[in-house]
Amino acid sequence: MEWNFLAVLRDFDLLILGLLNTLKVTGLALLFGVPLGLVLALSRLSTIRVLSGVAGFIVEFFRTTPPLVQLFWFFFALPILVDVRMTPLIAAVVTFSIQSSAFFAEIFRGGILSIDKGQWEGAKAIGMTYGQSLRRIILPQAVKRMIPAFMERSIELLKTTTLVSTVAYTDLMFQANELAQKTFRPLEVYTVVAVIYFVLIFVFSQASIWAEHRLAKSGEGTVR
Amino acid sequence: MGHTWDFATILQNWPVLWVGIKGTVFIFVITVVLGLGGGLVVGVARYAKSPFLSWPARAFVEVFRNTPVLVQIIWFFYAFPILTGIETDPFLAAVLGISLNTMAFSAEIYRAGIQSIDRGQWEAGKAIGMTYNQTLRRIILPVAVKRVLPALTNRGIEVFKMSTLASVVGYVETLNQAKLIADLNYNPIESYTAVALIFFVVLFPVVQGTYVLERMLRKGD
Repeated sequence: MEWNFLAVLRDFDLLILGLLNTLKVTGLALLFGVPLGLVLALSRLSTIRVLSGVAGFIVEFFRTTPPLVQLFWFFFALPILVDVRMTPLIAAVVTFSIQSSAFFAEIFRGGILSIDKGQWEGAKAIGMTYGQSLRRIILPQAVKRMIPAFMERSIELLKTTTLVSTVAYTDLMFQANELAQKTFRPLEVYTVVAVIYFVLIFVFSQASIWAEHRLAKSGEGTVR
Repeated sequence: MGHTWDFATILQNWPVLWVGIKGTVFIFVITVVLGLGGGLVVGVARYAKSPFLSWPARAFVEVFRNTPVLVQIIWFFYAFPILTGIETDPFLAAVLGISLNTMAFSAEIYRAGIQSIDRGQWEAGKAIGMTYNQTLRRIILPVAVKRVLPALTNRGIEVFKMSTLASVVGYVETLNQAKLIADLNYNPIESYTAVALIFFVVLFPVVQGTYVLERMLRKGD
């Protein structure tokens, strides 16, 4: 057994392309997932029973079903149900946006609930509406407390995006499969790809640990 | 929406799906036992004072926590046999990937649990003549494990969901069988919906159970 990285290095640009696509899917899922998570959290906290019930169901359903099943459902089943042209990218973004929004919703909910009730009352007392209190008083404090949990979830999302390779989206994992077949060097290809993911995720998780320490020092409790 | 839902084809193919469900349960039981059990060993090693124990444990945890589990499964399926000469079938590759990943995550949970125990407990153990190992086993771990029970249950839920990834390397489990049924009967909607519902019905009560458990522990502490 001899390691030979030459074949991998020669086609390294394929892996770079895959990496960019991985980041693209992660970024788009965050872009849609975070606002959707906020909407779900506010709905779940709402006093309107139907609204909180529906939001609660969506959150629990997407948290308790495997993301790969969700991806297959959106890719293979949804186009039959509604007339849309489904591409691997759209399926991936839709799946991971909704899936991560369910988790983000719980982070938002925990953050909002952690804010003292007096803050709501104080805002109301000086004549703010619900929306104003939320935007100006509650969320700025809640979001700060949520940052570590939020970063952890984003890292989980980045790892989960490897699943898109199963519906033939050219992410890093998919490119690795292609390259391994092309070069007959699965050992080197998959090891290099594992290292790329490791470096990427390690940097992000160190950043999140750093942020957590900073927030702990400034006296902001961290909510999970 | 012109689709008429027809779950009859799923029921007709129930034996096919049942094979998959058994496969899911089988791999779940093995990976959850190995993962949570091995995690305890790694967690204790990670906490140890000796750098010969704590550093390898730390390296293990960082590697397996900072790479996607699908990459691990595929690495064990395609790369590991070349490196070691040990042939891995889909089952073994999936078990290695999922178990080692779970070990790394649960090790950190156990470590947090051990760290949360008051120093006085260690000193008390020492004062009545217990060795490090005795104190750990008889005093620290029983309380620590109880405290982290909700986090461990959450890990168990993750393992159950992760088992679907074994289908990527061709292990026969629920999702794999659903794909088979969908391809043969042209009913992806019903097939994949059925799988989603199966997971939801199993895991929803467990998730609710963890909430109850959390509340009970908070009261007890």
